[in-house]
Amino acid sequence: MASSPSALGNPIEAATAKIDKAADIVHKEAATIVTEPKPHQHQVENPVIEDHLLAPATVNSIEIHGANNTRRGLLDHLFKPLVEESTSPDTTLGDVLGRISTATQKLTKLGIFKEDGFGVFISDARQKQQEQFQSPTDRTELDVSIRVKEQSRLVFSAGTDFGNAEGSAYTNAVLRNIFGGAETLSVNAATGTRTRSAYNAVFSTPLNGNPDIRLALEGLRSSTQKPWASHDEHLTGGNLRLAWSTDNGDNHALGYSGVWRQLTGLAASASPTVRADAGDSLKSSITHTFTRDRRDSPMLPQAGYLLRTVSELAGWGPLKGDVSFAKSEVELSAAQALPLPGISVGASFRAGLLYPLPKGYSLSSASVAPSRINDRFQLGGPTDVRGFSMGGLGPHDGADSVGGDVFAAGSVNMLLPLPKAGPTSPLRLQLFANGGRLVALQGKKAAEGSMSLDSGAVASGMKSAVAELANGLPSVAAGFGLVYAHPVARFELNFSLPLVVRRGEEARKGLQVGVGINFL
Amino acid sequence: MATTSAAAPPRKWMQVPRPLQQLFDTFPLLAYDVNALPARAQSATSGDLPTLYVFSTEEEALLGAPSFNPSCLKWQTFLKLAGVEFQILPSTNHASPTGALPFILPKRSSPTDAPSPIPSSKLHDYALKYGTSNPPEVSALRLDAYQALLDGPIRNAWLQALYRDPEYTDLLDRFYITPASSSYWVRGALRHQLRRAAEAEILKTGPGGAASTALSLLVDEDSVYRAALNALEALATLLSESETGWFFGAETPTIFDASVFAYTHLMLKYMSDAKGEAGEEQGSVVASRRLGNMVRSAGSGELEQHHHRLFELLWLGDLSAEYSNDKA
Repeated sequence: MASSPSALGNPIEAATAKIDKAADIVHKEAATIVTEPKPHQHQVENPVIEDHLLAPATVNSIEIHGANNTRRGLLDHLFKPLVEESTSPDTTLGDVLGRISTATQKLTKLGIFKEDGFGVFISDARQKQQEQFQSPTDRTELDVSIRVKEQSRLVFSAGTDFGNAEGSAYTNAVLRNIFGGAETLSVNAATGTRTRSAYNAVFSTPLNGNPDIRLALEGLRSSTQKPWASHDEHLTGGNLRLAWSTDNGDNHALGYSGVWRQLTGLAASASPTVRADAGDSLKSSITHTFTRDRRDSPMLPQAGYLLRTVSELAGWGPLKGDVSFAKSEVELSAAQALPLPGISVGASFRAGLLYPLPKGYSLSSASVAPSRINDRFQLGGPTDVRGFSMGGLGPHDGADSVGGDVFAAGSVNMLLPLPKAGPTSPLRLQLFANGGRLVALQGKKAAEGSMSLDSGAVASGMKSAVAELANGLPSVAAGFGLVYAHPVARFELNFSLPLVVRRGEEARKGLQVGVGINFL
Repeated sequence: MATTSAAAPPRKWMQVPRPLQQLFDTFPLLAYDVNALPARAQSATSGDLPTLYVFSTEEEALLGAPSFNPSCLKWQTFLKLAGVEFQILPSTNHASPTGALPFILPKRSSPTDAPSPIPSSKLHDYALKYGTSNPPEVSALRLDAYQALLDGPIRNAWLQALYRDPEYTDLLDRFYITPASSSYWVRGALRHQLRRAAEAEILKTGPGGAASTALSLLVDEDSVYRAALNALEALATLLSESETGWFFGAETPTIFDASVFAYTHLMLKYMSDAKGEAGEEQGSVVASRRLGNMVRSAGSGELEQHHHRLFELLWLGDLSAEYSNDKA
């Protein structure tokens, strides 16, 4: 952002060039980190420019070129404040430039314009109009012209994807800016290592022209293998989600979802626990997710922290459905660079609790249905508690990992640069130790044929399940390995040995490969 | 699975060196007791008896009452005839290894052992192996001939009545829809699926149906019921030729008695007129479309008597005892 003083023939032009460049940088930032918008900062180093930035200014006109399929109303919504706020007499050039930058940033976030197509041109209105009349004040009147390029309205794509512990191939069609208000319809079909088939369609739209608040309606149908519990799960359902980000970069999502789950296709070796849960159930729930991500890099964090909470209420009161519970999960991870080149330490903690509730509006009832396998937590795996197989921790019935109602897991790790690759390489050496506990809510002993509990039994059962978390050492594994942070996913190759286990838990001795986005 | 592959099983050419193996063997350093199973699993996994998974309700399963599904009831009856001790558990087709109930899960040999399920096609052998009394064998030729009556016309009429007759919608819901989900939408979808499947079955084997299409209009309801009535008459005639009261003159009830009972019991229990009086004329029985009445009026009542005999033999003892216990 360096403008040499000698080039300042016309200060306005220089400032224009500057804002043009600043806007460009902001666009790039916004485009690469849409989820983490950084407040735009004017880095004013030059006293001459500073003087000019403090000069009074107002906006004479704004023109936007190239937004052919975009509704006028949407653009008005973004740029009207710019004009209106700039009419006040104490507005400075700096204010105007800042506002233009904010508005263009919002424009980028709508996701309907090409990142490299942005251009902002600012000219002094008086220069053109000098012959006709003189400006009543010595305010600089600006003509703002913004050039955008719309992205294609229909895009087909196909490719491969990495999720947590799953690789998949997908085809995707996106219909952008359907009604000219930055609405998007995305239709997706995928198949993967665990997903036999998945189809979904999402319609999403910014609310009130604000790209920071989006409303999305989704329909989905999928069939997924759950080899750790010998079954397939078919889902058919939909959800309505409102997602917004606050000024400090926190993300919230609040949604309702209704899903018909069918647990079917059991393996011959499926355990009685899984057989008992086979069949249909409808989950009707509201979920709130909060994410605060202050890490420097999500794939290879060396500084900052992440806080995420997920809270779900299913089946209670007007929600109806076949399952009824309150479920809550919290995740906290932090990293800190050490005063040695490329060496950092990190720690993570996750915990969750599932509390079965009675149906209807009461909070105490004689018949509360205990949790099902598709609602319970699973713990363990190469992206989770390393050194255990997928769902390797917690209660097991035969070979099936049947999940638990309460869990806590933590990890500590140290990232070291590799001797040849150096501290700037995405390849790192990792030392780690991680562990956790996954505990199931206990029913009455030798159940009398009925599957339901009363509220008192649930409360005391939860209490003892939580107490059980701290009974003895957690199941722990430790080891070392390589980490490669690709922009799309993080790859890990670890060697680990289990230190503490519960009998029946599936620990891994030796090498383990992990591919994923979200690691413990 | 690329993402979770770990520690390849040791092969000869990459045997872990002995000292390393010894090091591996010392891990884990500490092993606690097993984690207890979740609450919902405990009722399904406790018990010292093999478990027969059938369509039933929680209460009826506790009593060991007859299942409301014909093929479940057939095997439940036969296992009882063979003297096999078992408990029953209400379940759904999704739980079955073959996609259809019933199946039996042998008892566990250890608390975490997962026994292999035995599908209905192997239940006959299982019953003979583990039962205390061997029901007499029936010659395959005769069995096949008469079993065709049950698998064809009588089954079709049962499907027609239960799945397609609006009068029995409540019954269908009570049997298969309500237990599956409390959701209006899920119930609707399941009911639709079941009805389509039943129609396809009727058209596949039934009279007046074109096998190639599944249009519900193609089911000729009168001929379905008439065929069932004829089949019931034939069975009643067959029974009247027997001196022992069981089919084919066997000394004790056979697998075929169990098969017939599975339908007659359900038809008499769920599809009779409240008065229990059947019209004498064949035409009016068909017109009433009450399968229970057809069973009652077949021949000179042999099928109804056969049902009562078998029910008394297998259930009346336990059930009346259970009921009187409840009252006391």
